[in-house]
Amino acid sequence: MQHFALTIIGRDRPGIVSSTAEIIYKLGCNIADSSNNILGGQFAMILILSHPQITDAEQLAKEFSALEDQGLSVFVRALKPGGEQRPDMPGEVCMISVYGSDKAGIVYQVAKVLSDNNINIVDLNTKLIGTKERPVYVMICETVLPAELPVAGLKKLMDTLKQQLKVDISVRTVTPVEL
Amino acid sequence: MAVQEVLVYPDPRLKQLCDSADITSEITTNLITDLIETMYESGHSVGIAAPQIGVCLRVAVVDVSNNKLGKKHNHGLLVLINPEIIESSGSKTMREGCMSVPDYTGNVERAREIVVQFTDKEGVNQVLRCKGFEAVAIQHELDHLLGLLFLDRVSNPGTDIFKRK
Repeated sequence: MQHFALTIIGRDRPGIVSSTAEIIYKLGCNIADSSNNILGGQFAMILILSHPQITDAEQLAKEFSALEDQGLSVFVRALKPGGEQRPDMPGEVCMISVYGSDKAGIVYQVAKVLSDNNINIVDLNTKLIGTKERPVYVMICETVLPAELPVAGLKKLMDTLKQQLKVDISVRTVTPVEL
Repeated sequence: MAVQEVLVYPDPRLKQLCDSADITSEITTNLITDLIETMYESGHSVGIAAPQIGVCLRVAVVDVSNNKLGKKHNHGLLVLINPEIIESSGSKTMREGCMSVPDYTGNVERAREIVVQFTDKEGVNQVLRCKGFEAVAIQHELDHLLGLLFLDRVSNPGTDIFKRK
Protein backbone atom coordinates (compact mmCIF):
# COMPACT_ATOMS: atom_id res chain seq x y z
CA MET A 1 0.00 0.00 0.00
CA GLN A 2 1.22 3.52 -0.79
CA HIS A 3 2.14 5.54 2.31
CA PHE A 4 2.20 9.33 2.61
CA ALA A 5 3.51 11.83 5.10
CA LEU A 6 0.98 14.58 5.84
CA THR A 7 1.90 17.67 7.81
CA ILE A 8 -0.59 20.28 8.92
CA ILE A 9 0.14 23.41 10.91
CA GLY A 10 -1.88 26.44 11.90
CA ARG A 11 -2.97 28.73 14.70
CA ASP A 12 -4.24 26.54 17.53
CA ARG A 13 -7.99 26.33 18.18
CA PRO A 14 -10.43 23.52 18.93
CA GLY A 15 -11.41 21.50 15.84
CA ILE A 16 -8.18 21.09 13.88
CA VAL A 17 -7.84 17.37 14.63
CA SER A 18 -11.51 16.78 14.02
CA SER A 19 -11.53 18.52 10.60
CA THR A 20 -8.41 16.63 9.55
CA ALA A 21 -9.57 13.26 10.86
CA GLU A 22 -12.94 13.68 9.11
CA ILE A 23 -11.26 14.05 5.73
CA ILE A 24 -8.93 11.13 6.44
CA TYR A 25 -11.81 8.91 7.53
CA LYS A 26 -14.10 9.79 4.61
CA LEU A 27 -11.25 9.19 2.14
CA GLY A 28 -10.66 5.72 3.54
CA CYS A 29 -7.11 6.45 4.67
CA ASN A 30 -5.37 4.70 7.55
CA ILE A 31 -3.46 6.73 10.11
CA ALA A 32 -0.48 4.45 10.63
CA ASP A 33 1.43 6.76 12.95
CA SER A 34 1.08 10.34 14.09
CA SER A 35 2.44 13.01 16.39
CA ASN A 36 0.35 16.08 17.16
CA ASN A 37 1.45 18.89 19.44
CA ILE A 38 1.04 22.52 20.23
CA LEU A 39 4.24 24.44 19.49
CA GLY A 40 4.14 28.08 20.41
CA GLY A 41 0.62 29.13 19.39
CA GLN A 42 0.58 26.69 16.48
CA PHE A 43 -0.88 23.22 16.38
CA ALA A 44 1.36 20.91 14.37
CA MET A 45 0.29 17.53 13.06
CA ILE A 46 2.55 15.01 11.38
CA LEU A 47 0.88 11.84 10.15
CA ILE A 48 1.87 8.76 8.20
CA LEU A 49 -1.15 7.77 6.10
CA SER A 50 -1.83 4.89 3.79
CA HIS A 51 -4.50 4.42 1.17
CA PRO A 52 -5.37 1.26 -0.80
CA GLN A 53 -5.93 3.10 -4.13
CA ILE A 54 -4.48 6.61 -4.08
CA THR A 55 -0.82 6.61 -5.15
CA ASP A 56 -0.34 10.23 -6.13
CA ALA A 57 0.63 12.83 -3.51
CA GLU A 58 -0.96 15.70 -5.44
CA GLN A 59 -4.25 13.86 -5.73
CA LEU A 60 -4.23 13.29 -1.96
CA ALA A 61 -3.23 16.89 -1.24
CA LYS A 62 -6.28 18.12 -3.18
CA GLU A 63 -8.54 16.29 -0.73
CA PHE A 64 -7.13 18.39 2.11
CA SER A 65 -7.51 21.76 0.35
CA ALA A 66 -10.56 22.56 2.50
CA LEU A 67 -8.16 22.83 5.44
CA GLU A 68 -6.19 25.54 3.66
CA ASP A 69 -9.42 27.57 3.56
CA GLN A 70 -9.51 27.26 7.36
CA GLY A 71 -6.10 28.91 7.59
CA LEU A 72 -4.07 25.72 7.97
CA SER A 73 -0.97 24.89 5.94
CA VAL A 74 -0.99 21.41 4.44
CA PHE A 75 1.85 19.44 2.91
CA VAL A 76 1.74 15.91 1.51
CA ARG A 77 4.68 13.76 0.52
CA ALA A 78 4.59 10.26 -0.97
CA LEU A 79 6.89 7.80 0.80
CA LYS A 80 9.13 5.37 -1.02
CA PRO A 81 8.30 1.70 -0.39
CA GLY A 82 9.32 0.72 3.15
CA GLY A 83 9.52 4.38 4.18
CA GLU A 84 6.76 3.83 6.74
CA GLN A 85 8.81 1.25 8.65
CA ARG A 86 10.93 2.17 11.57
CA PRO A 87 14.45 0.78 11.22
CA ASP A 88 15.66 -1.80 13.70
CA MET A 89 17.75 -0.04 16.34
CA PRO A 90 19.30 -2.55 18.70
CA GLY A 91 21.46 -0.19 20.83
CA GLU A 92 21.02 1.19 24.32
CA VAL A 93 18.22 3.79 24.83
CA CYS A 94 19.39 6.97 26.58
CA MET A 95 17.58 10.13 27.64
CA ILE A 96 19.64 13.31 27.52
CA SER A 97 18.56 16.49 29.30
CA VAL A 98 20.31 19.71 28.36
CA TYR A 99 19.42 22.99 30.06
CA GLY A 100 20.99 26.31 30.80
CA SER A 101 20.98 30.02 30.07
CA ASP A 102 19.68 30.55 26.57
CA LYS A 103 22.35 31.08 23.95
CA ALA A 104 22.75 30.44 20.27
CA GLY A 105 23.75 26.97 19.11
CA ILE A 106 22.73 24.67 21.98
CA VAL A 107 20.68 22.34 19.79
CA TYR A 108 23.29 22.39 17.02
CA GLN A 109 26.27 21.68 19.26
CA VAL A 110 24.53 18.80 21.02
CA ALA A 111 23.12 17.35 17.80
CA LYS A 112 26.51 17.62 16.09
CA VAL A 113 28.25 15.57 18.77
CA LEU A 114 25.47 12.99 18.62
CA SER A 115 25.58 12.81 14.85
CA ASP A 116 29.41 12.63 14.73
CA ASN A 117 29.17 9.59 17.00
CA ASN A 118 26.42 7.92 15.01
CA ILE A 119 23.91 8.36 17.83
CA ASN A 120 20.34 8.39 16.58
CA ILE A 121 17.83 10.94 17.94
CA VAL A 122 14.40 9.29 18.10
CA ASP A 123 12.53 11.95 20.05
CA LEU A 124 13.42 15.56 20.72
CA ASN A 125 11.64 18.39 22.50
CA THR A 126 12.98 21.86 23.11
CA LYS A 127 11.47 24.70 25.05
CA LEU A 128 12.36 28.23 26.01
CA ILE A 129 11.40 28.80 29.64
CA GLY A 130 12.28 31.22 32.43
CA THR A 131 11.78 34.97 32.30
CA LYS A 132 12.47 37.50 29.56
CA GLU A 133 15.44 38.76 31.58
CA ARG A 134 16.82 35.30 32.34
CA PRO A 135 15.71 32.92 29.60
CA VAL A 136 16.48 29.25 30.07
CA TYR A 137 16.70 26.75 27.26
CA VAL A 138 15.61 23.14 27.81
CA MET A 139 16.30 20.31 25.40
CA ILE A 140 15.11 16.78 26.18
CA CYS A 141 16.22 14.13 23.83
CA GLU A 142 15.78 10.39 23.52
CA THR A 143 18.56 8.64 21.67
CA VAL A 144 19.58 5.16 20.59
CA LEU A 145 23.31 4.46 20.80
CA PRO A 146 25.17 2.46 18.17
CA ALA A 147 26.00 -1.06 19.38
CA GLU A 148 29.70 -0.29 19.84
CA LEU A 149 29.18 2.78 22.05
CA PRO A 150 28.66 2.13 25.77
CA VAL A 151 26.61 4.51 27.93
CA ALA A 152 29.80 5.59 29.72
CA GLY A 153 31.10 6.75 26.32
CA LEU A 154 28.06 8.98 25.78
CA LYS A 155 28.40 10.37 29.32
CA LYS A 156 32.00 11.29 28.61
CA LEU A 157 31.04 13.06 25.38
CA MET A 158 28.31 14.99 27.18
CA ASP A 159 30.63 15.95 30.06
CA THR A 160 33.02 17.55 27.60
CA LEU A 161 30.15 19.35 25.89
CA LYS A 162 28.85 20.55 29.24
CA GLN A 163 32.17 22.32 29.91
CA GLN A 164 32.26 23.84 26.44
CA LEU A 165 28.66 25.07 26.33
CA LYS A 166 28.43 25.95 30.04
CA VAL A 167 25.06 24.26 30.34
CA ASP A 168 23.86 21.37 32.47
CA ILE A 169 23.63 18.00 30.80
CA SER A 170 22.54 14.70 32.27
CA VAL A 171 22.31 11.28 30.69
CA ARG A 172 20.30 8.32 31.92
CA THR A 173 19.47 4.98 30.42
CA VAL A 174 15.97 3.76 29.84
CA THR A 175 15.55 0.02 30.06
CA PRO A 176 12.26 -1.12 28.60
CA VAL A 177 10.94 -4.05 30.64
CA GLU A 178 8.50 -6.69 29.50
CA LEU A 179 6.19 -7.70 32.32
CA MET B 1 -0.06 -28.88 32.39
CA ALA B 2 1.85 -26.99 29.83
CA VAL B 3 3.02 -23.72 28.42
CA GLN B 4 -0.09 -21.80 27.36
CA GLU B 5 -0.63 -19.33 24.56
CA VAL B 6 -0.38 -15.73 25.81
CA LEU B 7 -3.49 -13.79 24.83
CA VAL B 8 -3.03 -10.52 23.01
CA TYR B 9 -5.29 -7.46 23.18
CA PRO B 10 -8.09 -7.04 21.88
CA ASP B 11 -8.97 -10.40 23.42
CA PRO B 12 -11.88 -9.45 25.73
CA ARG B 13 -10.60 -11.72 28.51
CA LEU B 14 -7.82 -9.21 29.16
CA LYS B 15 -10.38 -6.56 30.13
CA GLN B 16 -12.38 -8.58 32.66
CA LEU B 17 -12.48 -8.30 36.41
CA CYS B 18 -11.17 -11.60 37.80
CA ASP B 19 -12.89 -13.71 40.44
CA SER B 20 -11.26 -14.93 43.64
CA ALA B 21 -9.39 -18.20 43.27
CA ASP B 22 -10.16 -21.23 45.43
CA ILE B 23 -6.81 -22.45 46.77
CA THR B 24 -8.07 -25.96 47.40
CA SER B 25 -9.33 -26.43 43.85
CA GLU B 26 -7.40 -28.39 41.24
CA ILE B 27 -8.18 -25.63 38.74
CA THR B 28 -6.03 -23.26 40.78
CA THR B 29 -3.18 -25.77 41.19
CA ASN B 30 -3.09 -26.44 37.46
CA LEU B 31 -3.33 -22.73 36.68
CA ILE B 32 -0.28 -22.00 38.85
CA THR B 33 1.79 -24.63 37.02
CA ASP B 34 0.73 -23.21 33.65
CA LEU B 35 1.53 -19.65 34.68
CA ILE B 36 5.00 -20.56 35.94
CA GLU B 37 5.82 -22.62 32.85
CA THR B 38 4.50 -19.98 30.48
CA MET B 39 6.42 -17.19 32.23
CA TYR B 40 9.76 -19.05 32.16
CA GLU B 41 9.21 -20.32 28.62
CA SER B 42 8.98 -16.75 27.28
CA GLY B 43 12.59 -16.28 28.38
CA HIS B 44 12.36 -12.56 29.16
CA SER B 45 9.11 -12.15 31.07
CA VAL B 46 9.25 -11.43 34.80
CA GLY B 47 5.58 -12.01 35.50
CA ILE B 48 2.29 -13.21 34.13
CA ALA B 49 -1.30 -13.04 35.32
CA ALA B 50 -4.08 -15.61 34.88
CA PRO B 51 -6.17 -13.56 32.40
CA GLN B 52 -3.16 -13.49 30.04
CA ILE B 53 -3.66 -17.23 29.53
CA GLY B 54 -7.43 -16.91 29.46
CA VAL B 55 -8.33 -17.74 33.06
CA CYS B 56 -10.41 -15.18 34.91
CA LEU B 57 -9.09 -15.86 38.43
CA ARG B 58 -7.04 -13.73 40.83
CA VAL B 59 -3.71 -15.51 40.41
CA ALA B 60 -0.38 -14.15 39.16
CA VAL B 61 3.26 -15.22 39.28
CA VAL B 62 6.29 -12.92 39.42
CA ASP B 63 10.03 -13.64 39.38
CA VAL B 64 12.44 -10.76 38.84
CA SER B 65 15.50 -12.59 40.21
CA ASN B 66 16.85 -13.43 36.74
CA ASN B 67 16.60 -9.83 35.49
CA LYS B 68 19.47 -7.43 36.15
CA LEU B 69 17.01 -4.78 37.37
CA GLY B 70 15.66 -7.17 40.01
CA LYS B 71 18.94 -8.57 41.33
CA LYS B 72 19.07 -6.30 44.39
CA HIS B 73 15.58 -6.71 45.80
CA ASN B 74 13.63 -9.87 45.09
CA HIS B 75 11.83 -12.75 46.75
CA GLY B 76 12.54 -15.26 43.97
CA LEU B 77 9.47 -16.88 42.48
CA LEU B 78 6.26 -15.45 43.94
CA VAL B 79 2.96 -17.19 43.46
CA LEU B 80 0.29 -14.65 44.31
CA ILE B 81 -3.18 -16.03 44.97
CA ASN B 82 -5.93 -13.49 45.68
CA PRO B 83 -3.34 -10.74 46.15
CA GLU B 84 -4.10 -7.27 47.50
CA ILE B 85 -1.78 -4.30 47.85
CA ILE B 86 -2.38 -3.05 51.37
CA GLU B 87 0.22 -0.30 51.48
CA SER B 88 2.17 1.65 48.89
CA SER B 89 4.61 4.54 48.94
CA GLY B 90 7.01 6.51 46.80
CA SER B 91 7.01 6.56 43.05
CA LYS B 92 9.04 5.00 40.30
CA THR B 93 8.65 5.37 36.55
CA MET B 94 9.65 2.53 34.27
CA ARG B 95 9.17 1.97 30.58
CA GLU B 96 6.83 -0.98 30.60
CA GLY B 97 5.97 -3.45 27.93
CA CYS B 98 3.58 -6.39 28.10
CA MET B 99 3.37 -9.75 26.34
CA SER B 100 -0.33 -9.02 25.77
CA VAL B 101 0.34 -5.66 24.06
CA PRO B 102 3.15 -6.46 21.64
CA ASP B 103 5.28 -3.82 19.90
CA TYR B 104 4.58 -1.02 22.38
CA THR B 105 6.19 0.29 25.50
CA GLY B 106 5.11 3.23 27.62
CA ASN B 107 6.37 5.09 30.66
CA VAL B 108 4.26 4.23 33.70
CA GLU B 109 4.54 5.72 37.16
CA ARG B 110 3.94 3.27 40.00
CA ALA B 111 4.62 3.01 43.74
CA ARG B 112 8.29 2.36 44.54
CA GLU B 113 7.49 0.26 47.57
CA ILE B 114 4.44 -1.88 48.34
CA VAL B 115 3.14 -4.28 50.94
CA VAL B 116 1.27 -7.12 49.30
CA GLN B 117 -0.97 -9.61 51.05
CA PHE B 118 -1.66 -12.93 49.34
CA THR B 119 -1.97 -16.67 49.72
CA ASP B 120 1.00 -18.67 48.47
CA LYS B 121 0.80 -21.97 46.61
CA GLU B 122 1.01 -23.93 49.87
CA GLY B 123 -2.11 -22.10 51.01
CA VAL B 124 -0.26 -19.97 53.56
CA ASN B 125 -1.26 -16.34 54.02
CA GLN B 126 1.67 -14.01 53.50
CA VAL B 127 2.41 -10.33 53.82
CA LEU B 128 5.52 -9.15 51.97
CA ARG B 129 7.21 -5.80 51.57
CA CYS B 130 8.58 -5.41 48.03
CA LYS B 131 10.45 -2.59 46.36
CA GLY B 132 11.94 -1.46 43.08
CA PHE B 133 11.45 -3.56 39.99
CA GLU B 134 9.76 -6.37 41.92
CA ALA B 135 7.17 -3.91 43.27
CA VAL B 136 6.58 -2.55 39.75
CA ALA B 137 6.17 -6.06 38.33
CA ILE B 138 3.64 -7.01 41.03
CA GLN B 139 1.62 -3.84 40.41
CA HIS B 140 1.63 -4.53 36.66
CA GLU B 141 0.42 -8.12 37.17
CA LEU B 142 -2.21 -7.14 39.73
CA ASP B 143 -3.59 -4.62 37.24
CA HIS B 144 -4.28 -7.55 34.88
CA LEU B 145 -6.55 -9.06 37.57
CA LEU B 146 -8.60 -5.84 37.41
CA GLY B 147 -8.76 -5.86 33.61
CA LEU B 148 -6.25 -3.03 33.34
CA LEU B 149 -3.34 -2.83 30.91
CA PHE B 150 -0.29 -0.55 31.17
CA LEU B 151 -1.93 1.51 28.42
CA ASP B 152 -4.48 2.55 31.07
CA ARG B 153 -1.64 3.97 33.20
CA VAL B 154 0.50 5.88 30.68
CA SER B 155 0.69 9.49 31.77
CA ASN B 156 1.89 11.54 28.81
CA PRO B 157 1.04 10.65 25.21
CA GLY B 158 3.66 12.99 23.76
CA THR B 159 6.70 11.09 24.84
CA ASP B 160 5.34 8.11 26.68
CA ILE B 161 4.36 5.65 23.97
CA PHE B 162 7.08 4.11 21.92
CA LYS B 163 6.83 1.61 19.18
CA ARG B 164 9.06 -1.29 20.11
CA LYS B 165 11.37 -2.59 17.41
